[in-house]
Amino acid sequence: MNTKSHYILSGARVVDPSQGIDRIMDIGVANGIIVDPAEITNPEIIDLAGKVVAPGFIDVHVHLRQPGNTGAETIATGTRAAAAGGFTGVVAMPNTHPCCDSAGTIELIKRDSQRHARVRVYTCGCLSKNMEGKEMAPIGSLKNAGVVALSDDGRCIQDHNLMRHVVAYAKSFGLPIMDHCEDESLKGDGVMHEGKWSVLLGMQGIPGAAEEIIVQRNIILANTIDWKIHIQHISTRESVDMIRRARARGIQVTAEATPHHISLTDECIKRFDTNYKMNPPLRTEDDRQGVIEGLRDGTITIIATDHAPHTYTQKETEFDIAPFGIIGLETAIPVCLTELYHTGILTLSELVAKFTTGPAELLGLEVGTLKNGAHADITIIDPDLEFVYDVSQSYSKSRNTPFNGMKFKGRAIGTVVNGNFVFGEKKA
Amino acid sequence: MPQKKLIFNKAQMDEAIDRIADEIIAEFKVTSTNSNPIALLGIQRQGVPFAQRLSAAIKRKTGSSPLEGILDISMYRDDFGLRKTLPVIYETIIPFDVDDCNVIIADDVLASGRTIRAALDALTDYGRPRIIRLATLLDRVCNEYPIRADYAGLHYKAAHNRKIVVEFEESNGTDGIFEKHWDKGGDYKE
Amino acid sequence: MNITWTRKDLLEIYDLTAAEIELILDTAEEFKKVCQRNVKKVPALRGKTVVNFFVEPSTRTRISFELAEQRLSADIINMAGSSSSLTKGETLLDTIKNIEALQADIIVMRHSAPGAHEFIARHTKCGVVNAGDGAHGHPTQGLLDIFTIREKFGSLKGLNVSIIGDILHSRVARSNMWGLLKLGANVTFAGPATLCPREFEEVGVRVCHNLREALVGADVVNLLRIQHERQHCGFFPSTTEYNQFFGLNNDSLKWLKPHALVMHPGPINRDVELSSDIADGERSVILEQVSNGMAVRMAVLFLTAGVL
Repeated sequence: MNTKSHYILSGARVVDPSQGIDRIMDIGVANGIIVDPAEITNPEIIDLAGKVVAPGFIDVHVHLRQPGNTGAETIATGTRAAAAGGFTGVVAMPNTHPCCDSAGTIELIKRDSQRHARVRVYTCGCLSKNMEGKEMAPIGSLKNAGVVALSDDGRCIQDHNLMRHVVAYAKSFGLPIMDHCEDESLKGDGVMHEGKWSVLLGMQGIPGAAEEIIVQRNIILANTIDWKIHIQHISTRESVDMIRRARARGIQVTAEATPHHISLTDECIKRFDTNYKMNPPLRTEDDRQGVIEGLRDGTITIIATDHAPHTYTQKETEFDIAPFGIIGLETAIPVCLTELYHTGILTLSELVAKFTTGPAELLGLEVGTLKNGAHADITIIDPDLEFVYDVSQSYSKSRNTPFNGMKFKGRAIGTVVNGNFVFGEKKA
Repeated sequence: MPQKKLIFNKAQMDEAIDRIADEIIAEFKVTSTNSNPIALLGIQRQGVPFAQRLSAAIKRKTGSSPLEGILDISMYRDDFGLRKTLPVIYETIIPFDVDDCNVIIADDVLASGRTIRAALDALTDYGRPRIIRLATLLDRVCNEYPIRADYAGLHYKAAHNRKIVVEFEESNGTDGIFEKHWDKGGDYKE
Repeated sequence: MNITWTRKDLLEIYDLTAAEIELILDTAEEFKKVCQRNVKKVPALRGKTVVNFFVEPSTRTRISFELAEQRLSADIINMAGSSSSLTKGETLLDTIKNIEALQADIIVMRHSAPGAHEFIARHTKCGVVNAGDGAHGHPTQGLLDIFTIREKFGSLKGLNVSIIGDILHSRVARSNMWGLLKLGANVTFAGPATLCPREFEEVGVRVCHNLREALVGADVVNLLRIQHERQHCGFFPSTTEYNQFFGLNNDSLKWLKPHALVMHPGPINRDVELSSDIADGERSVILEQVSNGMAVRMAVLFLTAGVL
């Protein structure tokens, strides 16, 4: 990790949607802050011609598994993977053991992050005690402990009356809600999308309705209470349509899509590879196109990985009992550049916004920007670098990915947090 | 070494079959009254046309039709799993009662004797013949197993890496016995 | 015959070519003859060890496999899920590795998780034969049903086969479907709307929720077992109503062609899926299916063992 304090990133294409910038220019960094390059004396020049420089990417949906499930990942390894994937900040999901329903657990995560994290770790508190969906978590005390959002991710409050109270209460503390939208009775024992492939394979399915019903519930609550509810890992065309109509009416709902929902479908499951098992499940091609359209027209403002590490022993088992989830920090940028930028669906600026201004607006934080005076959190990308993803080289402790061995075009080659390179060489 | 060398022609084959038929007729005293019935059991695959010709010759000479059957020994081989390709199971049709029967096993080539050992196991699972005899069109004089032909039409000593192939008009278009270079690990009974 | 068997596993009929299916059926024909003679045994699998691992319990299929293995002269071990170390928390993978370490050659497994066989086949050099994986497949049942039909009709091309009942949860329906489609038959699925999903139309199956439509013109009707548990889960109101609308009885029989075959994978619920006299009647080949099952399983084990 180089800690030279003054340097200029020179000659790159700077894409900063927060300032409406997309042009070749220089970016100056001094003492961990973005400064006008002209003001730096004796700077080191880092030649980044042909590369892209963007504000540091933030992943608002990451499972770091610490405390409690450190066999699969730790704050140290997860944030190393984040840095290697080009992320300068992650929001750590609260379904740890114990879960983040108390200030004590938040303090523990913060302390461990200070000591071991490569990138910024933002904490997230639970909505309900022990994520059981019965009683509200101590939201005020979690706010004091420093959480930036609330979620029961992994579970979903089924009692709408409770959810109503939680949203109202969270609003009073200014905390946005991130909801994993799932009706448990419709999900049942499902392990993949309910559709043609679940029928052909004889597997229990999870209908799109399981997500859509709760998305609609959340839209109604966001409207009546007038507060921010963020739909995590949106996966069906119908869900995207509902968000689109709600946003047109000014309701404060936002949505995120994962790289795997952008690129894969339920047909991938026909060989029972558990690296295609996640929740919400991979859906049909029509749903995938619905999600892509949502990204294109701005209905979906955030891309987040839902990085969910599991050990080999946990994942390499019968499809029915394998846990849901895949890792994703190191493949997010390659998948999105390949599927969305190189195909012409999104401009580079639109794509960068999904990782920068989108998260910044949701969380209400001064991040995702390269304006002078901001923290020097920077993502450096080579958008044309072709490579084959080899998961055995991953910094994560876990290996559960469907993308191993696949060819991509574009990846992060440098990540800067507070002016320090946490991934990649300073030399071009 | 040419790919395929003719070692016995049609005339020699016909003469050999004729001679075997005579030997069988003599031993079993086959007459048109058929009082001591014999059964010819051809081993899949090339033993089958051989057995049929033998049967036709006996009928021509005596007026008596022997019983006829076909036996596939794939389920009784001892080299299962050692072969390059899986043995294909062909038909077995034994439309007569094997018990107390005079059975003549007929195979085109007698080499190591392993095929015949398997045929003996298979045959005795169908019943208890009174007598079993072995007729072979060509004896390679290999002596790997203590199995000898009772009736052998032709003899030919070939090296281990040579394969003897019998072709019949019924199944191959023309008659002839050939010596070929043997592809090690290949299937004997193609 | 110019194709040879090259697979170490039999996972599902979906994976097989039409030629491979025909090879199994042709091989089974010869084993059927073995089963009909006095000495019903051949030494083909002598010295080979077959483990019957029935994690999901079964009586009929297990006995059929056991007998097939004995007739091939194999050494047999029977393991049930309930008495294995799975109950102590050992993973399926570890259990299979232990079986492999005991020098087993073939594992015949029934498991409730779809894809369980595909999973273990990747991890073991033993041959894996699928005796049922949840609702996904039951390839030897599909093969023996097709064998039975082929025996009666000679060829499956253009034949109309109707499968009636709880298609949604049926591994028998799925295995039959793939095999029948590959051999050129016309497949119809019929049953209550809650148990007979239209998604099968996307692979070329005709789906209807009306028994008469399914029976008129059919050459073969295969009736699936209806499970009482489904009634309790709300899929259909009662077995009486099921029999009235989907059962093969003297009323519905008149829609069926005189030469049509009546099949059932067993065990039969008499007077639910079909009436007793039809089950025992001349169109029924239900008991022949059982005999054919023996021959088909011997063929599958023989072919698998030859590859290992």
